[in-house]
Amino acid sequence: MSEFLDVFRRPDFIPLLVTHIELSVVALLLGVLIALPVALAVNRSPTLSAIAINIGNIGRAVPSLALLALAFPLLGFGFATSLVALTALAIPPILINASTGLRQVSPQVMDAAKGMGLSGAQILGRIQVPIAAPIIFAGIRTSAVQVVASATLATFVGGGALGQLIVLGFQRNQPAIQIAGALAVAVLAIITELLFGFLERAFTPKGLRVARKRRGK
Amino acid sequence: MIEFRGVSKTYPGSARPVVKDLSFEVLDGEICVLVGPSGCGKTTSMRMINRLIEPSSGEILIDGEPNTAMSGTKLRRKIGYAIQQIGLFPHRSIADNIATVPQLLDWDKARIKGRVDELLELVGLDPGVYRDRYPAELSGGQQQRVGVARALAADPPIMLMDEPFGAVDPINRSRLQDEFLRIQEEIRKTIVFVTHDIDEAIKMGDRIAILKEGGVLAQYDTPEEILTNPTSDFVTSFVGADRILKRLSLTRVSEMELEPANGSGEGLPTLSDRLTVRDALSALMGAGVGRGVVEGEGGRRLLTMEAIEGLTRGARA
Repeated sequence: MSEFLDVFRRPDFIPLLVTHIELSVVALLLGVLIALPVALAVNRSPTLSAIAINIGNIGRAVPSLALLALAFPLLGFGFATSLVALTALAIPPILINASTGLRQVSPQVMDAAKGMGLSGAQILGRIQVPIAAPIIFAGIRTSAVQVVASATLATFVGGGALGQLIVLGFQRNQPAIQIAGALAVAVLAIITELLFGFLERAFTPKGLRVARKRRGK
Repeated sequence: MIEFRGVSKTYPGSARPVVKDLSFEVLDGEICVLVGPSGCGKTTSMRMINRLIEPSSGEILIDGEPNTAMSGTKLRRKIGYAIQQIGLFPHRSIADNIATVPQLLDWDKARIKGRVDELLELVGLDPGVYRDRYPAELSGGQQQRVGVARALAADPPIMLMDEPFGAVDPINRSRLQDEFLRIQEEIRKTIVFVTHDIDEAIKMGDRIAILKEGGVLAQYDTPEEILTNPTSDFVTSFVGADRILKRLSLTRVSEMELEPANGSGEGLPTLSDRLTVRDALSALMGAGVGRGVVEGEGGRRLLTMEAIEGLTRGARA
């Protein structure tokens, strides 16, 4: 047990944890910054939206490890390679949910908004985005949890992060290190899930929460 | 005044027009009902007024100005818009829904709040109770009322209403229609009202435009004229075989010129002059007599079959 706790007191534990969080946060942020504008841009065209959703679906089918393997020959070892691969992993769920969510706003609501004189940008910003917010956030949450979990693999391309502990444990045949590393990743993923679950609720407009509760009855 | 001048609409890739050479005028303060079977272009015609759809040819003038004189969004903020499925914004409170256009027009907050409460009162919803609720918490009928209030928010002189009472049960629909007619007495808007229901058209319209398939105007007239003198077989069949009875339901007994009953009313049934002529006729027939005594502000008067027939004289069979 003390052997196990010692892992968390290792001088490299905190830096590895920080790298893991850094890598995840930056990758998620980049994913949001790429996927959201694309979803907003294609929203007006059913064809482009369908293409975006399909690209997202294909993207989701590619395993994280394969993404790393693809980025490695191009960018070599290091943080950047991991970041690119994780960003690529973060994009699809956000892109899919945002594109679908924006298009799911009912045609009557869209017609009423247009008929009352809202401009295209106003319809997007004041009507579509708030109504789609819970779906968009659900996509970001999926991405976030996936990125945090997959950042573990960064160690294979020299990206550091908590995966390094797991690999180390293997190499030295010290299960305590291995388990401590895995546990740290799991806890981080759960915290991420809870945090984004909270954000999702916070960003769901009250009227939609009320509607959801009513429907649930 | 809204003026259609030779308006046609053909969608790209379609050979047949949905609206064909439509010309008519909607007078200020009147409810003009566009009615017809599905595919007659009534909704398309309405949507060309606020340019949700652009005509292929012809033009629509509003108070003498082509509706293309300003941008579509600017035009639409000046025209109230209410639709069948209501389209309330689910994420916005009732007050914010109603405030949509005033907010676009940058009214100050106090003015908006005052207007919202005034409109909620007008449509019969207590502002204190409903202002901060959300659409999902309201019944269908209440949502329809909010939809009408929202369309009226910036006090537009013109309102477009596409089957605004379509999504509620018949009893509620009738109540909403009555309420809306009462509101219209007060606000005197120029209204273009779309429905597929001839009875609703007769009840709501000061004037009715009957459209037939292909978007051709079959007849444009007052409900009385359309029921008494339909100009084509299409209109005759569209208004129904009971058109004479429908015509009678447009008049109340109190509006008829009747002889005083004097002493001749002995033994005849007594009717209220608030009845429609149709209901009065039904009562007379139920009693198995050809005459009855009407009681009301005009004193005791005699209602006869001849007087009823006089209302529909000139009607072609």
